[in-house]
Amino acid sequence: MHSVFSRINNVSALLSSCMMALLAAIALSTLAFNADPKGDLAIASIKVYPGTARRYARTKQDLAFVDFNITADLTPLFNWNTKQLFLYLEAEYINTQGVKNDVVIWDRIVRRKEDASINVAGKNKYNFREHSASFKNVPPANYSLKYNVMPYVGYLTYGEIAKTAEPVAFPPSQPRV
Amino acid sequence: MSNLLQSIPEGRIDFAGQKLVDSISRIVLISAVVISFIAGFALQDVRVTFGLFGASTVLLSLVVLPPWPMFNQHPVKWLDSSSSAKGNGKGKEKAS
Repeated sequence: MHSVFSRINNVSALLSSCMMALLAAIALSTLAFNADPKGDLAIASIKVYPGTARRYARTKQDLAFVDFNITADLTPLFNWNTKQLFLYLEAEYINTQGVKNDVVIWDRIVRRKEDASINVAGKNKYNFREHSASFKNVPPANYSLKYNVMPYVGYLTYGEIAKTAEPVAFPPSQPRV
Repeated sequence: MSNLLQSIPEGRIDFAGQKLVDSISRIVLISAVVISFIAGFALQDVRVTFGLFGASTVLLSLVVLPPWPMFNQHPVKWLDSSSSAKGNGKGKEKAS
């Protein structure tokens, strides 16, 4: 501690230990908040049309169009360590080959507590298509709205806000309107 | 003159000052952690925590790093060079 440099060395060494302790305390404090809000999810309509996706412009394939309604109050998820929320609507189905698919068809990032009261009547943001190019004979799909809490310090937590009570069937493909 | 110029960036302080610096930095840093955590938790804002912690770190380094006069109030008192030289001389004379 006799010279400036040894004082810088000593103070910054203690500072880094203290910083680690503070960050660990903040990350652990998230355990005190265990809100798990629930909401409503209703699938208003599903339609299947043949079309082409931009990435596979040459192959004709079925595209599903999902309209849905979401109401949820997610303000309890905002505590002092919440940076933002990632909400996503997932379609869950087992295709004709017996492979389980989780397809994210809509998402939203909520950055502020004031925006956390969700009331959305929307349609899928991302192309919803089957790997086999057709939704024919595909069993009904479950739709669920999930969240992912991103903290300032600490680990990510996941949860489910709402799920359709019964699986929703894919209608037969219609000719283009 | 060159000695003075060299001593400025080195910023030497005496032993009592070093002990004081050590205890000041320890007390301030640890209490900054506790206070900023409690304040941020109470106000439910992590920015308060990091703001308080950062501000106290800057203040601490302003207080502790430069060689302020208050860290140099107990200079080491060396023995007189002339008297010790005389003593040595006497001892040598006796031995011979």
